[in-house]
Amino acid sequence: MALLEVKKLGISFGGLRAVDEFSIKIEKGELYGLIGPNGAGKTTVFNLLTGVYKPTDGSITLDGEDITGRNTIQINKAGIARTFQNIRLFHNLSVIDNVKVGLHNHYKYSSGTGVFRLPKFFKTEKEMNKKALELLSVFDLDKEAYLPASGLPYGKQRKLEIARALATQPKLLLLDEPAAGMNPNETAELMNTIRSVRDNFDMTVLLIEHDMSLVSGICERLSVLNFGQLLCEGKTSEVLSNPEVIKAYLGD
Amino acid sequence: MIKYILSYGRMFCMAFLDYLINGISLGSIYAVIALGYTLVYGIAKMLNFAHGDVIMVGGYAVFTAMVTWGWSSWLAMLFAIVVCTVLGITIEKVAYKPLRKASSLSVLITAIGVSYFLQNMALLIFKEKPKVFTSVVNIPKISLFDGKIVIKGETTAAILVSIVIVVGLSLFINHTQKGRAMLAVSEDKDAAQLMGINVNSTISLTFAIGSGLAAVAGMLLCSSYPTLTNTTGAMPGIKAFVAAVFGGIGSIPGAMIGGILIGVIEILGRAYISPQLADAMVFAVLILVLMIKPTGILGKKVNEKV
Amino acid sequence: MKKKLNPQTRKSFITYGLLLIVFIAVEILLKTGSISSMLQGLLVPICVYSILAVSLNLTVGILGELSLGQAGFMCVGAYASAIFSNLVKDSITQPVLRFTLAIFIGGIVAAIFGILIGIPVLRLRGDYLAIVTLAFGEIIKNVFAALYIGYDSAGLHISLKSQGDLGLKPDGKMIINGALGIGGTPNDSTFEIAFVILFISVIIIYNFIHSRTGRAVMSIRDNRIAAESVGLNITKYKLITFALTAFLAGVAGVLYSHNFYSLQASKFDYNLSILVLVFVVLGGIGNIRGSIIAAAVLTLLPELLRSINNYRMLFYAVILIVMMICTSNETIRTFFIRNFQKLKGLIIKNKSGSETVKEAE
Repeated sequence: MALLEVKKLGISFGGLRAVDEFSIKIEKGELYGLIGPNGAGKTTVFNLLTGVYKPTDGSITLDGEDITGRNTIQINKAGIARTFQNIRLFHNLSVIDNVKVGLHNHYKYSSGTGVFRLPKFFKTEKEMNKKALELLSVFDLDKEAYLPASGLPYGKQRKLEIARALATQPKLLLLDEPAAGMNPNETAELMNTIRSVRDNFDMTVLLIEHDMSLVSGICERLSVLNFGQLLCEGKTSEVLSNPEVIKAYLGD
Repeated sequence: MIKYILSYGRMFCMAFLDYLINGISLGSIYAVIALGYTLVYGIAKMLNFAHGDVIMVGGYAVFTAMVTWGWSSWLAMLFAIVVCTVLGITIEKVAYKPLRKASSLSVLITAIGVSYFLQNMALLIFKEKPKVFTSVVNIPKISLFDGKIVIKGETTAAILVSIVIVVGLSLFINHTQKGRAMLAVSEDKDAAQLMGINVNSTISLTFAIGSGLAAVAGMLLCSSYPTLTNTTGAMPGIKAFVAAVFGGIGSIPGAMIGGILIGVIEILGRAYISPQLADAMVFAVLILVLMIKPTGILGKKVNEKV
Repeated sequence: MKKKLNPQTRKSFITYGLLLIVFIAVEILLKTGSISSMLQGLLVPICVYSILAVSLNLTVGILGELSLGQAGFMCVGAYASAIFSNLVKDSITQPVLRFTLAIFIGGIVAAIFGILIGIPVLRLRGDYLAIVTLAFGEIIKNVFAALYIGYDSAGLHISLKSQGDLGLKPDGKMIINGALGIGGTPNDSTFEIAFVILFISVIIIYNFIHSRTGRAVMSIRDNRIAAESVGLNITKYKLITFALTAFLAGVAGVLYSHNFYSLQASKFDYNLSILVLVFVVLGGIGNIRGSIIAAAVLTLLPELLRSINNYRMLFYAVILIVMMICTSNETIRTFFIRNFQKLKGLIIKNKSGSETVKEAE
């Protein structure tokens, strides 16, 4: 059974059909790429998958569970976490606190326990700190743990966003243009990170990317979106050599 | 018995009609104020908390010109409009423009500061004792039903002026270049800038128009309710904001409809439910509207981009 | 390795220490009789305003939303507790016990109002939230000003019309008399009690901020969409913050109502909410210690310098505008930061290195 199975997903804004009859099937542990020209509707697909928009048609099934029409919070709890094209960190919080917010639903104590500093507060906070630092060290961010997130350089902010998403312990990780704004060295490093996330956390990753070196470097399979519709799908090498895809990217 | 009921019924109807006319009159004034809120909210995307206090400044300007300097009412009105327009532009330049990229929280706090500043400046200049305002309206009153209902000149003036303003403003916005620039800025500031529209001057113009309207509202308000203090504009200002939200913020006809509804609700509530709770009822309307239809009667939904 | 306090904990302990020092100093001055009676009269109000300011800072600084209903919640707490104290003042004669109960009652009733108001309102953001809380504050004030409550052998009588409408028997007593408000509330507020309440409020707020809940609230403030994406229930955390703010404002109201013999709803108007906002803004949005200092200074200053009293409100207005422009305008802020750092550099020339990293736990 596929981890994520999307069938004939569609949404309209006013008269515009932003995504139409979009289907995708991702197996557990895959590194999957979603590519397409600007304005093809890739981020809209992410927003549909994460419940930011409610689909007008179609269904989304995660690990055998129908999650169509659920809101963002429920979908995160069901096991999808994401990053954003334009980085959305909690910029006034420290780096470690960003991750601890991600751990929020897995390490619980009540507001009263926190206000009155009951023993459970200290115990849980200690566990959270340990777990958060562990995650940060995977991304080589543990030295900056107590700096404000806004003070991190751009590349590290992107990594922190991934760390925060992983902290919610998802089954599926969605990355929206993780290499945007990075130089080739940073991109190469990011590729290693993503691969190691998949291997170490046993994660399934779906990513949107324009950087073809990253896509061809790490994605095992690809879907191509054009004008809101699926153009083709398949193994990375096959898709990238498909004349239709080349036409969609370069125009007639 | 039947005769008694009939006569009581007629009295009730007459009284109701009288309240209704008063409500529409007050509502028309709210509508003129609400237009200022709606324009500024639509274009500068901010709640100009000080808008109500510009009304008060307009009132004092007319008062000073007429009573202290002995000007004619027409000249005094012109003076008030000029004072408020200049004040509106100045407020925008000094207090709001530096915060154009700041969070809405900072802008709102600044606006509250400006409102407080105007109120207390007026208190220092004109002192606490209320000023008795002389009406600037000289339209004769209209008697209906053998004098059972008398429509005061101020009432007629408020209704006529508000209609003229709404029609005029709609024509201006839809049919002049400056008006269309305002529409463009309200849709998308950055895109408008790229299309060669001067965003700064458009925002200034918006504040100028809004404040000029506030001056007009101030005169109408003080002519109908002739005590003038430094907080004269505060409550009507907040109620007019309620009216703007009720009608759908950003919409000119919405401001008119919202204003009149709020005025009628206030006057009827005062008459039939409780005079102390009339203000509370207006605010309850705001809360209900925001719970049921936050975009108001004629407003449109805005989605946040993710 | 020696364990160091993390910066957040250190910050809160400095505040506790400063509060205690001020308290001891004031107590000594009181014992030696070197505080004028006029200043003595300000001690409880300073605590009341400080509590109001720190609790509003929770909503403004930590949640990042503007509430203008602080006076309304204070009014609810003041009235609820004053009614309670008036009803039981003959049966519970132990003032501390009676006052403790009154404080809980005032706080809890205000928190319930906060939740009831918060449920419909907190879906709204920014300007709308501010104006709706303002509207609620005004409604609360108007309703209390129109409220008549009395009791006699037949029980409690409530009316929104007039005293006569209550139909009290001759043995009946008025508790709330419309716009005239409540009279005869026992004067249970002392500086010591008020200080203890302030101290506890500050502890509650610091602990709240530096806990799982506080983190969630701040993440919502920083980026609502991202907070949702990691599975945070936005409404729940907003509501908790709002309720805590209302609770503390209610408690401040209890202290206030038990500090004066009579109390009118008209005291709790919009201007009071603005005043509290001025404290928060001057003390620094999100800065708890700053709120207390600003509340104390701005309460003392006009009393000490009578000549500036006329300009007080104007001064408040200027504080709001100037503080906002200086902290939110990029150009001006950079200018301040650059020059301030130069100054700081002159004072502590030899200290160097990144403190934040070192002092982490």
